Amino acid sequence: MNAIEFTGVSKWFGRRSALLEVSFALPRGSALGLLGPNGAGKTTALRLLLGFTAATEGSVRLRGLSPEDPESRIAVAYLPERLRLPQRMTVVSFLRMHGTLAGLPPHELIREVDTVLDITGLAGRARDRIGALSKGLMQRIGFAQAFLGRPEVLLLDEPTSGLDPIGVRDAREWIRRLRDGGCSVLMSSHVLSEVERVCDRIAIVNEGRIAASGSVDELIQPGETLEDAFVRVVRA
Amino acid sequence: MLAGEAFRDAMRRRIVPVIAVVSLLSLVLVDGCTACGTPSVVQDGVPIELPTIAGWAALVIFGVLALWVIVLAGVLASDHLVEPLDDGSASLVLARPVGRSTFALTRLVGVLGITFVTGAVLLGGGVALLHGRHGVSLDPAIWAGCACALGAVAVAALSMTASLFLSRLATALAMLMAVGIVSGVNAIGLFGVELGGVSWGIDRFGPPLASAIVRALAPWIAPARVPADAFELAVRSVAWAVASVSLLVVVFRRRDIPS
Repeated sequence: MNAIEFTGVSKWFGRRSALLEVSFALPRGSALGLLGPNGAGKTTALRLLLGFTAATEGSVRLRGLSPEDPESRIAVAYLPERLRLPQRMTVVSFLRMHGTLAGLPPHELIREVDTVLDITGLAGRARDRIGALSKGLMQRIGFAQAFLGRPEVLLLDEPTSGLDPIGVRDAREWIRRLRDGGCSVLMSSHVLSEVERVCDRIAIVNEGRIAASGSVDELIQPGETLEDAFVRVVRA
Repeated sequence: MLAGEAFRDAMRRRIVPVIAVVSLLSLVLVDGCTACGTPSVVQDGVPIELPTIAGWAALVIFGVLALWVIVLAGVLASDHLVEPLDDGSASLVLARPVGRSTFALTRLVGVLGITFVTGAVLLGGGVALLHGRHGVSLDPAIWAGCACALGAVAVAALSMTASLFLSRLATALAMLMAVGIVSGVNAIGLFGVELGGVSWGIDRFGPPLASAIVRALAPWIAPARVPADAFELAVRSVAWAVASVSLLVVVFRRRDIPS
């Protein structure tokens, strides 16, 4: 069973098409990068997977289940592009809430929260109110909540947005560690280098369609960089 | 756990201290009103008390407080669901194995938690003063409190549903207008006035916000009778509460979650 399956998926918002007959699959334990210009439909694909909106046509499956079924999101972690956290909560109380929502039993919750706080470098800020933190630290909190409960599927939308260079490197390492541990990763990003380093396969999305897909070697023509290939495909 | 967080989130809102102050002021006013003693007239040099007037006054006081609690539920609900949707914080929760119904219901529970605590203090304090100073019986107040609670559930759920389509201000205004119209029609109907058209429909089939409260407090104004069937009002109150909550769940399930 694939972690993610899109079969002939189209999504219309009124008269505007966000996705047109998109089909792809993410095998378990692999990483797929979604590349594309603004408005290409990358975020829409992620929202369809999470059940935030429904496909107009076609079938979407997350862990073999319909996104309308809350159980499809068991062992699934999500980091949105626009990360909005409850400003009035402290870091640790926010993570404990998400740990509980992720299904962690009480006797594991505290240890797991402490672990992700250490991994993401937030141990010293655990008692701080989220509203008082910088964007970069909030992004780290976003990663921390995504790591809770050892997810099987990781959905990332511009994951390095707002991070400093050290944070970008750390984020790449975290994602790689999860992928190497068997987690399936679907990452949407503008940053070609991040996608290239983390993902096994890449799908270039343009105007709601998958314009090209494959491994980096399959997409790049002789003498090209990934950026050249991206521009060539999008402009074709 | 989500319900607890929704309640704590509601408690952190800036309007809550305002509600607390207004509620305390209301209790102070009730204290002042009930300290007057039972009204009386002097006949042939002998003072005769008029407990009936005291009963009517108690009914009006309790009824106004109960409607204030219902309005409070609607005001709090007018943005307690859409706020996390609009600011994006709901998306992380809904990305977990949490159903739409669960999310909406826990937000509703958060609002009703504050409403019921406020109602218990306000109505409980009010009826304690009325009972102690004018001897009104407590049982009718308990039933009226239940009617108030059911009204609050229906109004809060409908307010939350409306907030998915309207702005916060429009939702609050629409809710205030609706509660005012329904309560006014109920009150007119209770005085035996023949209603027609839409007013008749609202009074006959709409949520009996004021009717149910007044009917429950009928023993306070005996021997005057309230022209309404208590059982029918109870069934309608429950039906409206259940239908309103169901509508909220159905509507929220179909709504796109903003990114």
